[in-house]
Amino acid sequence: MNDTNPSGPPIPPQIPPPPPPGHPGGRPLGDAPEEREPIPNAVVAVEAILRQPRRVLYQLRQPGASGLVLGMLFVTVVCSLVYGIVVGTFSGGVQLWAAPVKIAGGLLISALICLPSLYIFACLSGSQARLAEICGLVAGLLTLMTILLIGFAPVAWLFSQSTESVAWMGALHLMFWAIATVFGLRFLNAGFSRTQARSNAGFNTWVVIFVLVVLQMTTALRPIVGTADTLLPEEKKFFVAHWFDALKLPRLSGRD
Amino acid sequence: MNSASASVGRSDFRTLLEGQADTLRLWTQPGHQRTVTLNVTVILFGAGLYGATIGWWRDPWQGFYVAIKFPLVILLTTLGNALLNAMLAPLLGLNIGFRQSFLALLMSFAITTAILGAFSPLLAFLVWNAPAMTPDVKATPTYGFIKLMHVGMIAFAGIAGTVRLFQLLTQLGGSKTVARRVLFAWLAGNLFLGSQLTWIARPFIGAPQLPVVFLRETAFQGNFYENVFRTIGQLLQFD
Repeated sequence: MNDTNPSGPPIPPQIPPPPPPGHPGGRPLGDAPEEREPIPNAVVAVEAILRQPRRVLYQLRQPGASGLVLGMLFVTVVCSLVYGIVVGTFSGGVQLWAAPVKIAGGLLISALICLPSLYIFACLSGSQARLAEICGLVAGLLTLMTILLIGFAPVAWLFSQSTESVAWMGALHLMFWAIATVFGLRFLNAGFSRTQARSNAGFNTWVVIFVLVVLQMTTALRPIVGTADTLLPEEKKFFVAHWFDALKLPRLSGRD
Repeated sequence: MNSASASVGRSDFRTLLEGQADTLRLWTQPGHQRTVTLNVTVILFGAGLYGATIGWWRDPWQGFYVAIKFPLVILLTTLGNALLNAMLAPLLGLNIGFRQSFLALLMSFAITTAILGAFSPLLAFLVWNAPAMTPDVKATPTYGFIKLMHVGMIAFAGIAGTVRLFQLLTQLGGSKTVARRVLFAWLAGNLFLGSQLTWIARPFIGAPQLPVVFLRETAFQGNFYENVFRTIGQLLQFD
């Protein structure tokens, strides 16, 4: 027992709360040596975004951050495809490949749709962030969200095998997505608040827009959880209306 | 290393129960593989013994089945949420790795099941004194009393394990606020998954009018929460 080095309690790497608007606040990014260590590949990026988010934020500001952004997007695609397969196991059949494609594609398209508005809001808030940095922050948001979804995957799979209710499974996936989004947005907020933005109002507005876009995307790309005659919907619907309709859906009679 | 190996020996079980957070923190470091064996063994024996007393009232075979199922539920809950728990800990401010978070939870479950295992002779004695489980026994106070005893003992053991886990997390993170946050997130996740696994693994006590089985044919039909919501819905229908 004595040969083990009883090192002191590790310093919590928690993303610090954003400073008040108009103040860069907090210690500057990169003041710790470990934050200045490059992130060479996607695996290190995953580790860093969970344990050293400040390192990711610092590296996103450095020249040549595009490699890191691409790495994070790669992780996002892989993780969302894996989670999509878990979602697809509920209905089986076509959904085993359709659900992963829809989830990965839908998430990326949603981010792409929302990216310009985040950049505009950042500029309006007085932020000094370049478009590339904003892209990196959004990539970080997606990466953290999808990594967390992988953590939820075993639980989601268990429930998908033991229920036949589309509404229940839909609600469960939405709950997991909401938790993952909260953590992802915390990362984005931490990055946004270090871009000299004078106010968070623009960011908060963007969060609402992003959440609405992703929720609508799940309806625009339906069915993702259940099944339908066509791969994509023929009728346009608002997501709230779709949820109410889903509550009336019959349970899956078989796993075709 | 020798001293470390020696310490993970005879007195480990006692150390685990005493919950010396500083020692348990060392056990979560690399180089203490035997602690995994110890914890899993304690869970298998403790939960197995207690499981046997749960099912024994219905039938000895039911006791045997539950002795297998109860430790399985605990181990599968730990494994199923291992990745998620390891991700949530650093995000909530506790910078520990997968191994540390997994072992911390495993130790907490080991303490809980050790307590349950110690209670199992008491429960066995209680069941031995109870009238046979016949269809009409459900209407008697005995049935309710035994169920209540199980709930009380599992709750007591669960609280003891949780308190130990909180102390360990405080040691690992150096902050009670962070430890409380992580503990709450872990407990919520484990409760969510554990409830469903328990639902799938039913019956535990068993019903006198139903055959003794390892898993019911309807094990994978419906889920725990649907059932709860349906029950609440039925209760709220006054007409």
